[in-house]
Amino acid sequence: MTPILGIMASQNYPRVTNSYESIATVNVGAGGQSTISFTSIPSTYKHLQIRAIAKSNWSGNVVSYAMTLNGDSAANYSYHELYGSGSAAAAAGSANTSYMYAGVILGNSTASTWGATVIDLLDYQNTNKYKTSRVLTGADINGTGGYVELMSSSWRSTSAVNSITLSLISGYGTLFSQYSSFALYGIKG
Amino acid sequence: MANTFELIASSTVGASPVASIDFSSIPSTYTDLVLKVSIRSSRTATRDDTTIIKFNNSSTSYTARYLVGTGSAAGSYTDTLIYGNTNSNLDTANTFGSAEFYIPNYTAAVNKSVSSDSAEENNATAANSGFTAGLWSNTAAINRITLSFNGSNALQYSTAYLYGVKNA
Amino acid sequence: MAAGSTYTPIATTTISGTPASYTFSSIPSTYTDLVLIIAGTASGGTNTYVQFNGDTGTNYSTTYVYGDGTSAVSGRNTSTSTPSVGYISTAQGVSTVQIQNYSNATTYKSLLARWNNTGVLVAASVSLWRSTSAITSVLVGCSSGLTFTAGTTLTLYGIQAA
Repeated sequence: MTPILGIMASQNYPRVTNSYESIATVNVGAGGQSTISFTSIPSTYKHLQIRAIAKSNWSGNVVSYAMTLNGDSAANYSYHELYGSGSAAAAAGSANTSYMYAGVILGNSTASTWGATVIDLLDYQNTNKYKTSRVLTGADINGTGGYVELMSSSWRSTSAVNSITLSLISGYGTLFSQYSSFALYGIKG
Repeated sequence: MANTFELIASSTVGASPVASIDFSSIPSTYTDLVLKVSIRSSRTATRDDTTIIKFNNSSTSYTARYLVGTGSAAGSYTDTLIYGNTNSNLDTANTFGSAEFYIPNYTAAVNKSVSSDSAEENNATAANSGFTAGLWSNTAAINRITLSFNGSNALQYSTAYLYGVKNA
Repeated sequence: MAAGSTYTPIATTTISGTPASYTFSSIPSTYTDLVLIIAGTASGGTNTYVQFNGDTGTNYSTTYVYGDGTSAVSGRNTSTSTPSVGYISTAQGVSTVQIQNYSNATTYKSLLARWNNTGVLVAASVSLWRSTSAITSVLVGCSSGLTFTAGTTLTLYGIQAA
């Protein structure tokens, strides 16, 4: 197909007066929760954003946690990270993984502290594209063990995303702790 | 106080690849601009590509500082272009990059800062992601934004969305 | 699922004079997260920092990663009174700070920041305020005795979850 020089973006008329909307929130209660699920995600947005604070019952400090889409737990993902550990800047990546990176989470070795995450998923309804997520995340514990990261992941499916599940990686806790909070937002386009 | 995060314009690349995506006649009624971009380029020389951002059709006075991860190492460099990481046509099929550009005070009579977080994704160890700190040393109000792709074209289904954010 | 339009500007200031800091006070508790945008210049090159609820004690800490144009570096500041959320200089720069669950009265407060100063560095950081108090005020300051330059803007937005 012959490329064309450029395209002009279409203006937003009639105006969408506000494009950022809250969809749903999961606040973990006293018993903890093994997974966090957003289901029946409306198809009326262009992008999704999850804003979260997360803690688990793992005995350690800081570790990553996982995100899967539409219930797919097969090796249909990849992930990458650029991070600072407080002592070194580094990067890593993996192919054919069974989950995306959702962020970093605090275990219960540090009291009162939760990891913070902002997850962006663009074009989540687009059935011509695999789904790429981008995450800014971090946890500091006023001592060794804190991390700040840019994470990205891909889900090799062209399906529209209708559900998102957040979970702990095997071996790193079994429950999200009380007061962990996950808020889902939709952004119109 | 009213909410503020409004779509100004959007662009989706059709069957013919495009050398650039243009947002013109940007209204001056907001405070900051946010650009969300999902691009796959036609580049086949290397695995990764970049989405370059320029303002008001100007090709000069850009500087940027980068922190980038390659999937195995982290590094930093500078450039005289402002860009974010994205996918090329050598990356895993159907996979597009993800980037956000934040431009504060775009109508103020000061030089223009740009903050970007961006990622190329690929089903392999290697993929670039990183942070960009950019500066357009021009005090003109921004009324046009042009995205281009390092000598390549944006492929079908690539998208770009421009939002305006208004302060209190 | 409930849907609610959000992303609300709470307050903005455009700096006049040469103050070393500015405080957003009486922050309503009705939002979930705060987004702070620091855009502008200072009298010299230095870190910007935040303090909450007038707490000037060493109750903060930060883990950061930055690129200076040559090297990628990570470091940590523990038990500090001035947690860095950006780098400001005589050239235009911008920091975006996400303050998560700021009105939660059970958890310590975590914030994510992106620092952008093209002439010096690009960075990301996570900071911790070791207090379970809901945040009602945010002081934004310049370190090292430096001051904000007139025209610098500080803006606070609220995001409300469903």
